[in-house]
Amino acid sequence: MRNVVLGGLLLTGVAASVPAQAQDTVRIGLVQPLTGSVAYNGKSVVEGARLAVEEMNAAGGVLGKKIELIVEDGQCTPANSVNAVEKLVQKDKVVTLVGAFCSSATAAIMPVAQKYKLPLITGVSSKASLTEQGNPYFFRAAETDALMAEAFAKILANDLKLTKVAYIGVNDDWGRGGVEEFSRDLTALGVKTVLTEYFDHGATDFFTLLTKLRAAKPDGVFVAAETQDGSILVKQIREMGLDTKVFGVGSWATADFINLTGEAAEGIHAAVPYASSMDTPRNQAFVQKYQAKYGIKPGKYGAAGYNALNIAGQAIARAGGTDAEAIRASLAKTSYEAPNGVYKFTDKGQAYGFEAVLVRIEKGEPKVIASTPVDAPH
Amino acid sequence: MDLFPQFLANGLVMGVFYALSALGLTLIFGLMRVVNFAHGEFYMLGGVSGWFVTNYLGLDFFSGLIVVAAFMAAVGWLVDRFLIERVRGQGEEPGILLTIGLSIFLVNGTLLLVGPAPMKVAGAVAEGPLFFGPIAVTKLRLLAVGVGIALIVGAHLLIRRTRLGAAMRATFQDPMAASLAGIRTGHVYAATFALGCTLAALSGMLLASIYSAQASVGGLISLKSFVVVILGGMGSFAGAIAGGLLLGVAEAMWGGYVSMGMVDVIGFVLVILILLFRPQGLFSIRTERA
Repeated sequence: MRNVVLGGLLLTGVAASVPAQAQDTVRIGLVQPLTGSVAYNGKSVVEGARLAVEEMNAAGGVLGKKIELIVEDGQCTPANSVNAVEKLVQKDKVVTLVGAFCSSATAAIMPVAQKYKLPLITGVSSKASLTEQGNPYFFRAAETDALMAEAFAKILANDLKLTKVAYIGVNDDWGRGGVEEFSRDLTALGVKTVLTEYFDHGATDFFTLLTKLRAAKPDGVFVAAETQDGSILVKQIREMGLDTKVFGVGSWATADFINLTGEAAEGIHAAVPYASSMDTPRNQAFVQKYQAKYGIKPGKYGAAGYNALNIAGQAIARAGGTDAEAIRASLAKTSYEAPNGVYKFTDKGQAYGFEAVLVRIEKGEPKVIASTPVDAPH
Repeated sequence: MDLFPQFLANGLVMGVFYALSALGLTLIFGLMRVVNFAHGEFYMLGGVSGWFVTNYLGLDFFSGLIVVAAFMAAVGWLVDRFLIERVRGQGEEPGILLTIGLSIFLVNGTLLLVGPAPMKVAGAVAEGPLFFGPIAVTKLRLLAVGVGIALIVGAHLLIRRTRLGAAMRATFQDPMAASLAGIRTGHVYAATFALGCTLAALSGMLLASIYSAQASVGGLISLKSFVVVILGGMGSFAGAIAGGLLLGVAEAMWGGYVSMGMVDVIGFVLVILILLFRPQGLFSIRTERA
């Protein structure tokens, strides 16, 4: 089968630079944003992924070969992510794809993965509709906004005594998805929406948006933003002299977010699928290894990269070969013990079974205040 | 309507920031005619080196600012003597290609050295809010506006009132005549480029203390700075201020009364309008080029 594929590629000249010999490694392609305003978070995914690959190789690799991780920059944009996937498939001949980061980018590479009939795992993209598209090659080893909203809306509404909430999200599929899901679930609990606003990736000044927020007088504000945008936004909320309660989704339960945000991070709530303070033996071992390697505690995205690569590696090992269909079939039977619970996939490729937590940042540490297993969506 | 004073204040603060970050480009693009696509990267380098000197060398903010200014002046001087000089007098295209290449090099070099993580530059004063009636600002913002205005006035006086400034103006009006009159034009070009770099870097460090420094902020800064320079008119400091304020206030009003989501569109709409109706810019001192 491979010879046919290789022959075809050589004929078209695409693979001219790659010698057509049997690979002595099992290649997995990873597409993450390495430049742009979420680059920092993309880098965390890559760090987690490298740690997973290192561990698996130390344990003998898969199929008797070492795993080779090939990382490409998708810049969080659909076009660049598609280019990255084309390169990984055509030139590097990866057997499984992991990525992309932003939901918009993942939505764009899903049909490409299907075209080449390669399994695609995302550990991050959380827009609910991705797993509703009937793409059999797509697996999401992450929470969806809908699952998070369902798990925590009630706790948030009661604990924070919310009556009027403003919603602010980054202007992409993920931000809009998060705002929609949380506002729907909170509205169902009788919480009023007073403001909904979106801002662009990389925005730095939020005073205009916050002026509107101040006028809307909410008693809580929901924010869907990543480390860089989110830290600046939360800081400016306090700089405006607003003392409204802040909660949201994104990589907030991380050392870097807290360091960048400083004092302003105190008391904010974040709904995350992973926090380094989760109290399980597997997680403590993971945190220790991650910290030894990178000098920093893992956050949501470090764990996401780690989990996605472990799921991919284990599926390839179970498949007993690099045939894409076999890997896809064995992915569907995943039961992976992660630092944050056990990951399984539904028929649509949506992960469930792992724990999600609500953390409050206290004295510079994410403190877990509620924990709940993520159920299969119904 | 009660939101209006705060929107206006936000817009004016942003306007000064835009004018400040475009100041270096006013010199390099407006006066020297180098279409400098690496402008945003010089701004980024200012923020990143500001982070380095305050975080690792332990300097306070203002000493750090001086070190960064000296460092970036040297960088600017070297860039001009070793790179820009090679394409001088060959039209705009080689310069465009050169500065695009330079910007790619600087972004990726920075990514390699310090990584993509946002970096925090410790500010000169505390970050808490200040209230003037209904208007909230922070001390840090007021300080940045103050330093920004000082830099703008300083640069203006340098160009208008000093021998170096006179040499610059002479060189850019007619390089041949200037060198015949005994001006060492090579040095003048390098000094102007160094000054432009320094101004970009200072604004980068100043604003990084309010927001954060990051390797890939340069693109957006370059775009907005080009908008400001085109709005204000090439090479005019008054124009840069007017262009910056116009852009800042327009964005604040659009964001405030219409929608935040598309606020970056405003600058380009303004540029299209100005190119249609007043192509020389609001304050151009060289209308004949229009």
